[in-house]
Amino acid sequence: MPFLDYLPALLQGARVTVELTLYSTVLGALVAFGLGIGRHSRRAWLNVPCAVIVEIFRGTSLLVQLFWIYFALPVLGELVGLNLRLEPMVAGTLALALNIGAYGAEVVRGALQAVPTEQLEAAKALDFSGRQTLWRISLPQALPEMMPSFGNLAIQNLKDTALVSLISLGDLAFRAEQIRNFTQDSTTVYTMLLLMYFGMALVLSALMSLLGRRVGAWRNA
Amino acid sequence: MTVRKTGLALLYTLVGSLALGHASISAATLEQIKERGEIRIAVANEIPYGYVDLSGEAKGAGPDVARHLAKALGINRIKWETASFSALIPGLKAGRFDMVAAEMAILPQRCQEVLFSEPNSSYGEGLLVPAGNPRQLNDFSQFSQPDLKVAIMAGADQLEMLQALNVPEANRITIANNADAISTVATGRADAYAATSLTVNELASKSQKVESASGFIDPVIDGKPVRSWGGFTFAKGSESLQQHINTALTDFRKTPQWRKILEQYGFSEADIEQSGTQSTAQLCARAAQTP
Repeated sequence: MPFLDYLPALLQGARVTVELTLYSTVLGALVAFGLGIGRHSRRAWLNVPCAVIVEIFRGTSLLVQLFWIYFALPVLGELVGLNLRLEPMVAGTLALALNIGAYGAEVVRGALQAVPTEQLEAAKALDFSGRQTLWRISLPQALPEMMPSFGNLAIQNLKDTALVSLISLGDLAFRAEQIRNFTQDSTTVYTMLLLMYFGMALVLSALMSLLGRRVGAWRNA
Repeated sequence: MTVRKTGLALLYTLVGSLALGHASISAATLEQIKERGEIRIAVANEIPYGYVDLSGEAKGAGPDVARHLAKALGINRIKWETASFSALIPGLKAGRFDMVAAEMAILPQRCQEVLFSEPNSSYGEGLLVPAGNPRQLNDFSQFSQPDLKVAIMAGADQLEMLQALNVPEANRITIANNADAISTVATGRADAYAATSLTVNELASKSQKVESASGFIDPVIDGKPVRSWGGFTFAKGSESLQQHINTALTDFRKTPQWRKILEQYGFSEADIEQSGTQSTAQLCARAAQTP
């Protein structure tokens, strides 16, 4: 049974993939809210930089971002006298989070814009401050609208983690390559890989829909 | 104003370094490695030069010799890293590892980018072809014909050989690693895979669908049959580490153990004899001769 021989190494890799997905999705969500709310703002000093960051990370290849952070940043850091030699895990998390965060920012902005203007006018009439309107009126209504798209992004992110195998991080795809190199058994290894990613995606999808029900619970109250 | 100036200065540094392109990080010395208690050595997952087996253990001519050298230098722990072949030199430059044990061929262009130890091995070339060798291939120069395709690994020196033999780019296919070679050749995406004889033999033993081209003719470039000398690789700035490794390597090469390691991984008698015939200085200086 070859797949039993491969399983321990693949499970070891799966653990790294899960960790990486967890870190980068949570950090990516923070980035998404930061940039998304920033882009929604009418203040140019906040709006413009956020828009620039979103465009940069959405408009360049994730693989190149990853290589840049891993191979180019340390050399640049040395030139300006800083140690920017990030650990593979940190470099991977950062690239994934910034990339997924840039996509997420547009989801956040879109959902905030979809909040009916009457709601904002009512808040103004009741003398809510800008911050109060955002936290008490806009976000609670926008959040449930974001969840289906966030679910998509989280699963996308899980699958994107396979790219980190190219910066020597021992994730699922990396372990699979190692086994394949040693055994040349591409069919078994890649089939197991598909199934394992699919299993993880199902779990993640269930978690996200649970979270979606949670943030929308106030509607049924 | 100051913010803008710093911003501009940073931008210039960025652009400048990109233009220079050769910038590299100050590498670790032997003392720093000893202090850290561990040396980070990279392999490229190429059997039999340097690879990681199913249990995660590094094996191959490079790693097995490197283990002895580290011990001789009083370094107790080795952290093995795996990178794709084309990421080895960038990884050294970015300070991701201290040494590469991939039996990387000592070539003039590479000598300008990184440091090499004295040769640890020597090897010739080969061709992996579909079983039965339907196109009767046995020579790299055959690929200058229009309808033949040859696969090579990204970053490997077979590219320079094929270029020297006037093989057009349209006839070359680049693959990411050796693991893809068998399927590339067996499914006809390329008519052959050009690699070192050891790699070819190793791959041929893994599948019935491919074989090592018999009657292979060593490519002749600049009037000389091609042979490569492989050594350990370091980042520029690791001169002290390089020298210590050289001393240990010279001693270790005199022992029967060294010979046994190379024989065990399939290096022929000729390969072992040849490995001592060139020094790294000679191999690097070839730059002056070949344009």
